[in-house]
Amino acid sequence: MSGEIHFFIGKGGVGKSTTSALTAIHLAHKGHNTLLCSMDPAHNQRDIFDRHFSEKPKQVNRRLAVKEVDADYWIGKYLKETEAQIKKVYSYQSAFNIQSYFSILKYSPGLEEYALLLAFENILDTAKDWDFIIFDMPPTALTMRFFSLPFITLVWLKELLKLRKNIYAKKEIISKIKLGRKEVEQDMVKAKLEGLIDDNRHLQEYFTARETKINLVVNNDRLSFSEAVRTKQKLTEIGIPINRVVVNKVQNNEIRENLRAEFNGYKMTLFPLASEGLLGLEALELYLDENQKVLNDLP
Amino acid sequence: MKKEYFVPTAAGEQVNLQMASLFTNIRNKIIEVFKTADEVMRSRAVGTIEYEVEELDNIFGIMVLGAFIGIPSPPIQVTMELFPLMEKELHIMLAKVLTAHDPLGDLFSELDID
Repeated sequence: MSGEIHFFIGKGGVGKSTTSALTAIHLAHKGHNTLLCSMDPAHNQRDIFDRHFSEKPKQVNRRLAVKEVDADYWIGKYLKETEAQIKKVYSYQSAFNIQSYFSILKYSPGLEEYALLLAFENILDTAKDWDFIIFDMPPTALTMRFFSLPFITLVWLKELLKLRKNIYAKKEIISKIKLGRKEVEQDMVKAKLEGLIDDNRHLQEYFTARETKINLVVNNDRLSFSEAVRTKQKLTEIGIPINRVVVNKVQNNEIRENLRAEFNGYKMTLFPLASEGLLGLEALELYLDENQKVLNDLP
Repeated sequence: MKKEYFVPTAAGEQVNLQMASLFTNIRNKIIEVFKTADEVMRSRAVGTIEYEVEELDNIFGIMVLGAFIGIPSPPIQVTMELFPLMEKELHIMLAKVLTAHDPLGDLFSELDID
């Protein structure tokens, strides 16, 4: 994957799906191979394009394909694989009754954002030569959990690895005293921990890479503005910079003074309020035609 | 003058062989005793560390598998990834549950305090 990755994030209802769709169409028109990927469980893209989408990318026009991430599919797939692994190892699991734990695990908090991460990894691993991948993200809460998951996971993993190394250092001492030589069997858990640390570092690098752009979508009102400020703070805390502020539903090309002040120095794209609902590829293309000025500010 | 040498007879040789094997036996027994003593001393020396390692294994188990007993745990996928590899830790955790009502007794018996 060598192209740019764009995330469209923001409060529910500000127009992440619409602005990401418009951006994707614009990029495709410019001749870039573009994948628009809906990560929001609400899946607005199917309404916006008025077509059915699935895990398999569907070409909307020559350069643009759209894909919907099915979080339930990824959770199910992941749990099935883990369950198979456990069954292989725990021969007494029928007595221990792991099965009943598994039936409730799919409701574990945190699995939803993990499913999104799995899907994200999969998209990057299997991506063909896209010039741009545009992610239409879920509303702020889930998106923030998605971005912070690798960071939180790394904190845990590092702590666990430290403890594990401590245990194994002691086991080596025991073996040295008892047998006169260091002889401790290969620690699978330690190897797994190190593998997980690598994976999460990799994700973290993706989020903070120069080719990854965060587009924060806001409206010209107080609520979405204050949420945008908080989102900016939280992303800064985990080291993910915002690349562009997308102001949607702008009237008369005017935006609030505090919005301009808060995001002074950021790239800004203003999408004028559409006169009627933007549904269907034709309507979206017409909007872009009518608002040529917007295009200059897009990537 | 011709010296008289001891001429070994068949019976004499038999006696010699018996003596030799007796000595070897005794020597082996002594080595064995020392080896056992060494092993015992070494085991004793590491007994406390082994106990500590088992406790650490237990803590590691609880940290990773805490979700199963209702304490804060890492993001669920960490638990899920490690769980298949942690059969031993799970055994230790379950065994510790049995002595959970008397942790001091467990510790004292390990440290040989009556």
